[in-house]
Amino acid sequence: MKASPFRRVAIGAVASLSLALTACSGSSTGSAPDLSDKPVTIRATWWGADARAQLTDEVIAAFEKKYPNIKVKGQYKDWNGYWDALATTTAAKDSPDVVQMDELYLASYADRGALYDLGKAKKLLSTSQFDDQALATGQVDGTQYALPVGVGVLSILVNTDLFKKYGVKVPDDKTWTWDDYAKIGKELTDKSGGKIHGAAGAPGFSAGDVKYWARQHGENLFDKDGNVSLKPETLAGMWKYGLDLTSSGASVKASTMVEDLTAGVTAGSFATGKAAMMGVYNTQITAIQQATGAQVQLLQMPRVGNTKANFFKPSMYWAVSSQSKHPAEAAAFVNFVLNDQKAADILKTERGIPANKEMLKHLQPTLAGTDKAAADYMNAVTPGESPVVTPNGGSGIEPELQRYSQEVYFKKTSPDAAAKAFIKELQGEIDAAK
Amino acid sequence: MSSINELRRLRGSQKGARQQNKAAFFFLLPWFVGLFGITLGPMLASLYLSFTKYNLLQPPQFNGVENWTRMLDDERLHKSLEVTFSYVLVSVPLQLAMALGLALVLDKGVRGLAFYRSVFYLPSLIGGSVAIAVLWRAMFGTNGLVNEALALVGVQGQGWISEPGTALSTLVVLNVWTFGSPMVIFLAGLRQIPTSLYEAASVDGAKRWRQFRSITIPLLTPIIFFNLVLQIIHAFQTFTQAFVVSGGTGGPADSTLFFSLYLYQRGFGHFDMGYASALAWVLLLIVAAFTAVNFWASKYWVFYDD
Repeated sequence: MKASPFRRVAIGAVASLSLALTACSGSSTGSAPDLSDKPVTIRATWWGADARAQLTDEVIAAFEKKYPNIKVKGQYKDWNGYWDALATTTAAKDSPDVVQMDELYLASYADRGALYDLGKAKKLLSTSQFDDQALATGQVDGTQYALPVGVGVLSILVNTDLFKKYGVKVPDDKTWTWDDYAKIGKELTDKSGGKIHGAAGAPGFSAGDVKYWARQHGENLFDKDGNVSLKPETLAGMWKYGLDLTSSGASVKASTMVEDLTAGVTAGSFATGKAAMMGVYNTQITAIQQATGAQVQLLQMPRVGNTKANFFKPSMYWAVSSQSKHPAEAAAFVNFVLNDQKAADILKTERGIPANKEMLKHLQPTLAGTDKAAADYMNAVTPGESPVVTPNGGSGIEPELQRYSQEVYFKKTSPDAAAKAFIKELQGEIDAAK
Repeated sequence: MSSINELRRLRGSQKGARQQNKAAFFFLLPWFVGLFGITLGPMLASLYLSFTKYNLLQPPQFNGVENWTRMLDDERLHKSLEVTFSYVLVSVPLQLAMALGLALVLDKGVRGLAFYRSVFYLPSLIGGSVAIAVLWRAMFGTNGLVNEALALVGVQGQGWISEPGTALSTLVVLNVWTFGSPMVIFLAGLRQIPTSLYEAASVDGAKRWRQFRSITIPLLTPIIFFNLVLQIIHAFQTFTQAFVVSGGTGGPADSTLFFSLYLYQRGFGHFDMGYASALAWVLLLIVAAFTAVNFWASKYWVFYDD
């Protein structure tokens, strides 16, 4: 993310102005914050299930032991409820101090002055164990508003039991192309006599699909200025490929894709053994493997030529609210969660393969089974440059994309018309937020 | 003398009335707090917000009627109106017909009436809940109960909720299934009809159908009217079922994009609270218009036996 010096200064000025405007006490103004020695209570919030809450509560206990005067109150919700609550508490100037952030919403919050510039808390929050690419994923216009917790990379997960059962060879993932993917998918469907499908879906139901498709054609979904730069022809190409998958029978039907979407990855076609291949982030392997009970393996994504289309996708971030009255304590907490071995020992890979390289090194010998497979897979990927963070206004991209994909796969709209309409709508949302 | 006494008595009673009024206001206080604090206050705030650009995180900016003019070429809004209107127009009459039909059967003096009444009433208590919506999704899925039942009679089913053509119909079925509360009201209404009327009619030789048309229906019209108004208002506000069944998307392909679901998506999904506030007022106006038309039309068909 290289902004021109002028742009950087201008944005910095705007950012600090809006910070000053939205700060509700004097504590988050320009100067570096210091830890208080009086009793302080901060609130931390995240989305996720009970298992995550248990681990996080353990980390909180360890943190409170190290900093006896700081109390951390943890709150967690499911994904949808989380964003509703975060938006409304932020609107009410009552945001929790520490917030778990997602790539989709990072710029939406940062651009509107709702996040604290972590650069100000350098003394308390070290970033030295993250590499630049990982740090860049938490920056908006050059300011570090969030730190990535874990990272994932795209992969194709295959159910090797099903491959064996129907006598289909697992492909060599160093050379395979999208044509191979379609051919193998059809072969699986045909040899099973229609009992299973080769692929658990066609591309277009996640932003990762589109980013990957764009990058393998030398394009990007968003340009550096946060505008949609993907060409409609390229996007239409992705949907045409997907239509071929569904009409040849290589992939499950459109209505099954809709059901899988609401069922979630651990209850969809792949998880229930009705499909043998699926595009996932490598870190999802553990949950899905547990759901299927079958042997699974991560394969590299099919490729076009020698493009480095894959990328590190932060599974989530930790950020500090600009409304926090205790940014120092909040920063100290984020530091503990991300940089302390005690925290890493508790959390392991539940929030993704740690983006902190030292923590990953520390954990690596203890990883086993699918966790190890996910870490090994990540080491084998050579990613391209980090994609630009989803711009302010673009947080609705996934539901938008899913809607147009459904229009295409239910044959209500042609790929070309859908591609044009999608790009226009997304750019419109981004313009409206400017 | 007597007139003075009379005056005194009157004044005394006025005083008493004033004191009673005070007591009434005191007891109504919680309701007033609720009305002004929780209903009217936010309503006025949302009216103001409907003329602003408000992303929740920054203070609202006045932008005139921009939110209102924007509705004219918002295709998804038009789609959501289409979905909501077809839902209301189909599901409310079906639900009321179902409710009236069963009320008539139960009114004939079935043994164990209390039991049946409770059983039929149950769905309206739980029909709007998340749990039932989740159950619905499972029942009407590709591998759901409905398709298994169809398979028994040799019919190949489909994913009822995941096909754009049938998704809305499954929600109509869900609404019809919650016929219990209008049914109970119909039952009470049927009990109010004096049996002497039926007796007189049968003496005059009127058959059952004739009795139904000329006695039951006319005397039941106030109840039908009441249920109609209530269920229309209720149906326009449908949210939970569509949210849960479609995972909050209004899919597949916007086929279950209810008005209130779209409003929610704009407000919370897109940080578009100004526009969402304007949409909320549109919904209020639509419901108000329907109710007004209903009341106006009631003059021509509702029969009050005063």
